[in-house]
Amino acid sequence: MPQGDYIDLHIKRNGYRLDHHERLRKKEARAVHKRSAMAQKSLGIKGKMIAKKNYAEKALMKKTLKMHEESSSRRKADENVQEGAVPAYLLDREDTTRAKVLSNTIKQKRKEKAGKWEVPLPKVRPVAEDEMFRVIRSGKRKTKQWKRMVTKATFVGPAFTRKPPKYERFIRPSGLRFTKAHVTHPELKCTFCLEIIGIKKNPNGPMYTSLGVMTRGTIIEVNVSELGLVTPAGKVVWGKYAQVTNNPENDGCINAVLLV
Amino acid sequence: MVQYNFKKITVVPSGKEFVDIILSRTQRQTPTVVHKGYKITRLRQFYMRKVKYTQTNFHEKLSTIIEEFPRLDQIHPFYGDLLHVLYNKDHYKLALGQVNTARNLISKISKDYVKLLKYGDSLYRCKCLKVAALGRMCTVLKRITPSLAYLEQIRQHMARLPSIDPNTRTVLICGYPNVGKSSFMNKVTRADVDVQPYAFTTKSLFVGHTDYKYLRYQVIDTPGILDRPFEDRNIIEMCSITALAHLRAAVLFFLDISGSCGYTIAQQAALFHSIKSLFMNKPLVIVCNKTDLMPMENISEEDRKLIEGMKAEAMKTAMGASEESVLLKMSTLTDEGVMSVKNAACERLLDQRVEAKMKSKKINDHLNRFHVAMPKPRDSIQRLPCIPQVVLEAKAKEAAAMEKRKTEKDLEEENGGAGVYSASLKKNYILHHDEWKEDIMPEILDGHNVADFIDPDILERLEELEREEEIRLAGVEEADMEMDFEKLSEEEVKQLAAIRKKRAVLIREHRLKKTVAQNRSTVPRKFDKDKKYTTKRMGRELSAMGLDPSSAMNRARSKSRGRKRDRSEDAGNDAMDVDDEQQSNKKQRVRSKSRTMSISRSQSRPPAHEVVPGEGFKDSTQKKSAIKISNKSHKKRDKNARRGEADRVIPTLRPKHLFSGKRGKGKTDRR
Repeated sequence: MPQGDYIDLHIKRNGYRLDHHERLRKKEARAVHKRSAMAQKSLGIKGKMIAKKNYAEKALMKKTLKMHEESSSRRKADENVQEGAVPAYLLDREDTTRAKVLSNTIKQKRKEKAGKWEVPLPKVRPVAEDEMFRVIRSGKRKTKQWKRMVTKATFVGPAFTRKPPKYERFIRPSGLRFTKAHVTHPELKCTFCLEIIGIKKNPNGPMYTSLGVMTRGTIIEVNVSELGLVTPAGKVVWGKYAQVTNNPENDGCINAVLLV
Repeated sequence: MVQYNFKKITVVPSGKEFVDIILSRTQRQTPTVVHKGYKITRLRQFYMRKVKYTQTNFHEKLSTIIEEFPRLDQIHPFYGDLLHVLYNKDHYKLALGQVNTARNLISKISKDYVKLLKYGDSLYRCKCLKVAALGRMCTVLKRITPSLAYLEQIRQHMARLPSIDPNTRTVLICGYPNVGKSSFMNKVTRADVDVQPYAFTTKSLFVGHTDYKYLRYQVIDTPGILDRPFEDRNIIEMCSITALAHLRAAVLFFLDISGSCGYTIAQQAALFHSIKSLFMNKPLVIVCNKTDLMPMENISEEDRKLIEGMKAEAMKTAMGASEESVLLKMSTLTDEGVMSVKNAACERLLDQRVEAKMKSKKINDHLNRFHVAMPKPRDSIQRLPCIPQVVLEAKAKEAAAMEKRKTEKDLEEENGGAGVYSASLKKNYILHHDEWKEDIMPEILDGHNVADFIDPDILERLEELEREEEIRLAGVEEADMEMDFEKLSEEEVKQLAAIRKKRAVLIREHRLKKTVAQNRSTVPRKFDKDKKYTTKRMGRELSAMGLDPSSAMNRARSKSRGRKRDRSEDAGNDAMDVDDEQQSNKKQRVRSKSRTMSISRSQSRPPAHEVVPGEGFKDSTQKKSAIKISNKSHKKRDKNARRGEADRVIPTLRPKHLFSGKRGKGKTDRR
């Protein structure tokens, strides 16, 4: 017991008050009521916070109770059905198997050719032009209105140089340029912060693709060399596609799902 | 001079509390009302402010944590090592490092999002960005939750560390466990250390203070040390080792010569030799304790040799101290030798410190400022101070004056004390002639001399007037005498009382009427709702006035409608004349007579007074009785002009909710 612990010292020398334990018990018993009274009384953000906390506690409690119940109750064990098992009435049929296993790369190529993608976000809300661009007035009297500023997150390659500002039609503000994306690997279930290599396709139109606008649903190409993925042939994959799943201009970051 | 006070470190909130504190502060301290219609610059500014404010708060709070926790390499090495022993330096540094990183990350996040907010083009987008920014800041903080918890625990422990000043005069007590270190501490200081008959009662450093030669000494009690390799020592032992290693103190090595602590003298000597490197350059005193159990003379020869060996070792570093002040005997139980141990230790420490000071370079700076002048007499002539005669006289005079001078208080005492003596304000006036002091000054009021308006013979004239008045009054009083003594007779008294009573009643009634008048409609007098105007009452009142009421009553009765029985047709048939008959039958006739065929009234409708069954009534008799009941129910109300169902009602004239302040954020009915 260190020197400063005068409370402990006092307890050690003189013991507790005679009614200490009784008081403690009562206090504990009342605590529940006090808390509930407080929860009912408090308003506004405080009330919300209390409600949220209480709800979380309750949910957790229920979960644990259920878990305990599960561990004690008996259940019929699932019979394992072996893979490839066929019901009796199909036994005489013969399965056709593909003679040749197409390599992954060929599959990928085919898909690319067809221009069809099985992507996590097949449909996105179309973005109107006036939402995408802001008109910028130019000219001495500010009468000309042919300049546009992109209001969404953009990707601009490292080698990009601006046109002379006088002739630049689309301005991509540097504050909205992004070079990194948080990419989730759906199978590994983990997220990496990867560099963006390029924009593959923007669902709103080829113009946005070429401008490098990233909206929800855009397919981007990311640098996965850090992940150490390997092709069937044994080469290291360094570029892979990913689809943007959030609204980058609202969240201030790009979240994407790797397409595998 | 650095003060080592770790009690002042502010509380480190846990991760969740931290977030709550910061966010609720943002909510409270920044504006909360915003509308879509605001200018976009205003919207951006509104949300930027929130983000910036949150960041500065985070920054401030995390900075205080980083600054307030001591840097282990910047504090005194004793504390540095003690904290390392107790909390592990690496862990401590890591935690503070994490806090620092979090602070930087949060600053970066805020910078990024403020930049993005500049491009926000709608309220929704700005709000989304703000939410994202705050969320990311909180996430960063959530990650350092374990570090914060660790720091809070350390803070609590540090606040309880004894406040040891590493630079002051210090006496350090060390030795094996259970050899009587704490008992000695209790004897010498007021530290009140726990003493128990088992090893390692003292688990941490304890500090107490004692005085020797008017100087304050800090006495430190350390936990017992066991004789084992340095690496094997536990935290408790390491506390003593750090204290021994870093404090420039007088060391008292305690030796239990009775062996009742469970360790032989040989074992204790071994410990002494193993840690003797820590005693270098420090005044060391070997204290043989518990002489009450085993006197010094009774110990065996081998043990005596060991003690001699230790003594010899101690003498090496003694720097010219006598043998008696190196090895001492003591019994804390009988108080024998306790003071001598303390004195020896303090004396040697003081010597050593003075010597060290003399050796240091700084002493030259101090010494040239010291100069004690010791003048030697040149010859045997006495040279007394020369004071001129005039000065002496003046001084004597002054002294005498000082004595003589009478104060106002003295005067008061002489002239009858407080309350009796009144000090003259005039005597200190500064005037050309002293006799002017007592002159009467004119009193001036509104530009006039008051004295001009004083009549010198006013008192005489007043007297004259009074005399005249007396004479006159005497004449009047003679006339009044008779009237005054006349008294009211019994009867008159009664009448007066009656009059007064009646008057009071009338006044009361009037007042009652007046108060009621505002709220009630007035009922015409003829309806007589208080039953005031009855014939009976009239009779009573008239007779009270002493009049015969019978004729008046008869007249009133003859005019009234009379009893129903009297009104019936057969009752006074013969007495009635034609006109009367016609009158009495009028109603019946009206009822029985069929109405003229007017266009406005439908033939199918029943006559006005006929009751037709319907509206849920069985037949007309039932309906009639119902109508009768309903009429009766409001008859009294109608008569008194009371409020009925058909009247317009305003339940509350001034509803509270329309006449009290603004609505807060509570319920609607809480105003």
